[in-house]
Order: sequence, then C-alpha cells, then structure tokens
Amino acid sequence: MSFLRVNHNNIKNKKKLIPRDINIKKSTSLKLYKFAKKLRIVEERLAKEYHPANEMRCPVHFCIGQEAVPAVLSLVLSKKDFLFSHHRSHGYYLSKKSPLKKLVAELYGKKNGANGGLAGSQDISYNKNNFYSGAILAGSIGIAVGNAMAQKIDNKNGITVVGFGESACDVGLFWESINYAFLKKLPILFICENNNYSVFSPQNKRQAGGEIFEKVKIFGRYSEKVFGNNICSLYKKINNILKSIRKKSHPFFLEVLTYRFSSHYGPQNDIGIGYRTNKEVNFWKEYCPVTMLENKLIKKNFINSNTIELINKKFSKDISEAINYSKKSNFSKKLNIYNLNYNSITDYKKEIVKVDKNVKTSIASKKKIIGY
Amino acid sequence: MKKNILTYAQSIKEALQQSMRLDKDVYVIGQLVNYSPGVFGTTTGLVDEFKSIRVQDFPVAESLMTSMSIGMALKKKKIVLVHHRIDFMLYSMDAIVNWISLWRLKSNSQSNLPITIRAIVGKGWGQGPQHSKSFHSWFANLPGIRVAIPSSPFDVKGLLIESIFSNSPTVIIEHRSLFDNVQEVPSRMYRIPFGKASILKKGKSLSIISIGYLSQLALKISEDFLKKYNIDIEVIDLRTISPLDKKAIIKSSLKTRKVLILDPSWQSFGASAEIFSLIYENSNTKKILVKRLGYPDSHTPASSYLENKFYLNEKKIKNVIFKFLNFKKNK
Repeated sequence: MSFLRVNHNNIKNKKKLIPRDINIKKSTSLKLYKFAKKLRIVEERLAKEYHPANEMRCPVHFCIGQEAVPAVLSLVLSKKDFLFSHHRSHGYYLSKKSPLKKLVAELYGKKNGANGGLAGSQDISYNKNNFYSGAILAGSIGIAVGNAMAQKIDNKNGITVVGFGESACDVGLFWESINYAFLKKLPILFICENNNYSVFSPQNKRQAGGEIFEKVKIFGRYSEKVFGNNICSLYKKINNILKSIRKKSHPFFLEVLTYRFSSHYGPQNDIGIGYRTNKEVNFWKEYCPVTMLENKLIKKNFINSNTIELINKKFSKDISEAINYSKKSNFSKKLNIYNLNYNSITDYKKEIVKVDKNVKTSIASKKKIIGY
Repeated sequence: MKKNILTYAQSIKEALQQSMRLDKDVYVIGQLVNYSPGVFGTTTGLVDEFKSIRVQDFPVAESLMTSMSIGMALKKKKIVLVHHRIDFMLYSMDAIVNWISLWRLKSNSQSNLPITIRAIVGKGWGQGPQHSKSFHSWFANLPGIRVAIPSSPFDVKGLLIESIFSNSPTVIIEHRSLFDNVQEVPSRMYRIPFGKASILKKGKSLSIISIGYLSQLALKISEDFLKKYNIDIEVIDLRTISPLDKKAIIKSSLKTRKVLILDPSWQSFGASAEIFSLIYENSNTKKILVKRLGYPDSHTPASSYLENKFYLNEKKIKNVIFKFLNFKKNK
C-alpha cells in the first residue's frame, strides 16, 4: 500500500506509510531551510504582535505549519512566472521575492505597504513580481487559468502557479478550471494544500467520493498526491513538474497533504472550539516541516547549534526591523479613493492609443437611424 | 465615396475587427463567437481573419470565462467577452464583483484590467423571464466598473472601441431589439468618451432623459409632438450610466423644469431613482417636476400578447406626456 491511500482521516493509523524525506544537494537544502525558518519566525512574531496590540487591523491567516510549499516555490519560480495565492498569503508573497517590509507595512495599513494599505493581508499583491492573492476561495484559480492561457499564447516559457486549500475544491469554478486547463493543455501548476479544514469543517464532511487528486485524474494524467511536509522531496517533485510544464505545456494538479498549527485566522489557540484535538495537533507537530528539515540538516552536519542561532538572530532582526519600519510609517493622509477606481471619465491626455480622436460626439443626432 | 451604412450588429463587428487589426493583443472570447452566425452577426467572419486563438469559443462556463479574462489581462491582453444573454452572465458575478471591480483599487492602482464585457438583453418575441432582464443599474451600483448602454450603431462602435483601449473594466449592455437598426457610421476608428450624454434633440417644454433602446423611441415621440402639436421636447440619451453625465441631466432639467425619465428595467431601486434624486439634489430651490417610467416590478411574461402589456411603448409614453403637460389632444 502506498502513500496515495493516506489522507487526513487515516494518517494517524498509517504512520508507516508516511515517506521519509530524500537527500538533495547541500546548497539547495540549506536555501529551503532558511526560507522555511524565516517564514516560521516571521509568522510567529507577527502573530505575537497581532493581538492584543491590535495595530494590524485586517484579517490575517497565518501559515504556521504550511511553510513547505512557499519554501519550494521560492527556489523554482522566475520573475516572469505568475503566482496566485489564497488568503493564507504571506509565504507565497515572500516566495516571489517580494519585500518583507512592504508586507508588514501592508498589514499595518500604511502608505508604504505593498498596496498602500488598501489590500491588507488577504488581498495583498506585488504587481512588479507578478504575485497576486485574494480571499474568495476559488476565484484566483480561474484567474490563474486565464493567465496560463496568456502564457501559452505568448510562448515565452513563462508558467503560472496557483496555490489554494482543499476547500476551494468544493467550489464549481475549481472544476471548470481543471476541465479547461486540461482541455487546452495550459502551462499551469495547481497546488492544493490539503490541511483538512475549511475553517473548522473537515474535508470528509464536505466532499464525497474519495481523494481529490483521483477525481482530477479523470480529466488528464497529470495529477498526484504527496506528503507535503518533506521539504526536500517536495522540492524535487515540484522542480521536475515545472520543468515538464515549461517543456511540454500541460497542467499539473498536485495535492499536498499538510497541516496548519495556527488557527484558521489570527494567533489564538483554537483547541477550545472543539473541532480538533490536542492529540491531533501534536501528531502533526511530530511532522513539522521546519523541525524535520532542521534535524535532518543537523544530522548531516550541514548546520549546528551555532549556525542555527545565527540564522534565528538574523531573521528575528529582519522581522523586528520590518515591524519598527511599519509602525513608524505614515498612513496615507488623503483618501484618494475615487481616483483608484475606473469609475471616472477617461483622461485622453494619458491614453496612448493610436486611434482617431477627432470625432464630434454629436454626430449621432444628425444621422437618421432607420428602424424606429 | 460610398456611405458606410451599417446595422447596429455590423457596427459592433466593424469596431471589433478594426480594434483587432490595430492591436494584436485584442481577444474576443465567448460561446460560439467563431461560428458563422457570430452572435447575431457581431462576430461573423472574425475567426477567418484572426484565427481561433484570438476569437475563442468557450465552454458553458461563464464563471471561468470571466475569471480567465482577469488572468489574461494581467499579461497585457485586451479582452472582449461576449454573452448571448446577460442572464447567463450572472454565473460570473463573483469574478465581476469580488475581483474585477476592485482589482485596481486593491493594487493601489498598480494593476489594470482592460476587460470589456458585451452583454446582450433580449426583448420581444416571447423571450420570457430568463432572456430579457437588463441589469444595468446593478452594475452601475458597483464602483470600478463602467457601464454603457448604446442606442445607435454610431454610439456602439465608438463606445466599444473606447472600452477596448481604455484599460478599464466595462460592461456594455446591448439591447437585441436594436441590432437591425441602420445608420451611417464613420468608417474610421473613433472613441466616444464615457460620461458624455448625447442630446438627440433640443427642446424647451419637456426633457426626456432616457436609457438604451428607449432613447430611440423617445426621439421618435418627440418628433411626433413637434410635428403634430408644435411641442418641442428635449431628448437626452445617457449612453453611459456609469459614469453618469450629471451636468447634462442637471442643465436640461433646470432649463425645461419638467423631466420624464425612461428606464428599460424595473422601476424600483434602479437607474431612474438615481437620476430622480440627482435632479432634486441640484434643483437650486427651483420647482422641477419629474416623472419616471420603467417596467413593472415583476418578470417578463413570455406570451407575446402579455409581453406587449409589460413593456413600455409609444402609446404609454405619449399618454404620460399628455398628462404631464396638461395637454388635451382634441384641443
């Protein structure tokens, strides 16, 4: 029996089927470790600052426990690739090499945030690096499919990656997207981070008929499931998938079994709600992606307690600086809100379109319309 | 030189064709757009010139179609989506409301979506309640989306070209009953700005402010009144309702002090109420009388006999005007 039969329902009884992480090049594994560690430190620190200070006033969904996918993406995507993320966006944002200071300033709603404080955590984007996120679950999946269509048309080796949770697979648009991506062989990687819960509601209360990756497989052969907390294995898997997508242009659906230690939203412990047990959380903490990789690297003598200490210090300093920078930053003074929409008359001076503009708009009244 | 006389449908096609020739990043996407009937003739033949990659047929997945247009627009494509009926487009409300309308704002104006959505509204010949709704006021209620309802072949070409090249998300509502109307249209490309109403006829005794196909009906009615009773009615075709040409509405209202608003949709909570309040808020204590006409707050019957009772027509509008002007026909 293989890992493909393991899911959130049975994993506690099928420990033996959880694969061990593989060994990869030292430099690559160190890069992965540093990213995952940084993300963990950033998120834990942000969670501490979030409440009760209440200076970051926007819904924040922390990704503590789900560092593996962003860590991998940070090494395999290039600037021309587009990345679309769910509301648990911080890891994805950083994986696209977007600046940490601008992320934190955005959470504080400040002028120099990634989006001037207009988007907040769950809607953050970094246009320059082709990174976008959003909170209405499956919406970004459809957007990503369109982006992949444009990548295919442009034919410049760019690809599209979209990350989402298994809850997005409840939505009709997800299945429309899968169908069309496979129909048109679009260069897109769908990464489904299956953490079992839509807020509190587990997958088996919401979805019928077996594993998601198997259902997707009906549309085309490129669909797999992996254990998501072995960062090096995940790196090798995703790296190979992206190489294949770039070469042959096809979609790929990758279901990644993982778990969030943080509550759905915010920093508080959510055991009291009763939807999951301490036992379950502790089980998954044994398989924490960051700790497992750290232990592995120690064992291989790639790092030791001194280097870990240095790494911790550096990232703690980075996030402290980003928080101080954000607290000191200003809010936008003016609410320039109408100029940000298109609900205004076109400014022709700014338009660069090679069309004839010398048409009198009153012609319509002079030309008789036949039909009435 | 031969006059360029086009139907409304041909004018749309000419706008699309010229835009696609001008800019290789213009794409037309919609169900059946690359078959010979070409969505009532508005896309006929485009596929022969621009191939199926730029004139894309699409599965019956409106939600995905609209979402996709966002992803394509992010790669600098200018997208024209086509819906045979606006009723089907409602599957894409999430993409329009939760994503497109606020995309630019939440990016702090770093990211633009040049998306034009053509939505056709059926009327007459038993279209029934699922083929005839016109949701212009829904979309006009939404910030970040521009809404046009062109009533003539001239307007539809200019507004469509404006939308395609404007970098702004736009919904263009096309009334199917206008598609066979003909008019001379400049053969060159031109743009009509949003937020500029067109004064179809000048007048002093009454202003008719109207939307969509009712503008053409209002023009005919006003010409009748001038000929038969020597009453000069001003007719303003709003052309776009978001943004709205507030200046034109206020100016005309202050001039005639009598305003009739014609809105081709349900009367309650719609565009006519918006125009009504705009006039009163700007009346400068002058007395202005306003009436409005729309559809009953109920759904369109399919039966052609009952359908006639449902819609506004020449007679209904004329009767309201007679009463409004205290005018007795047999005088």
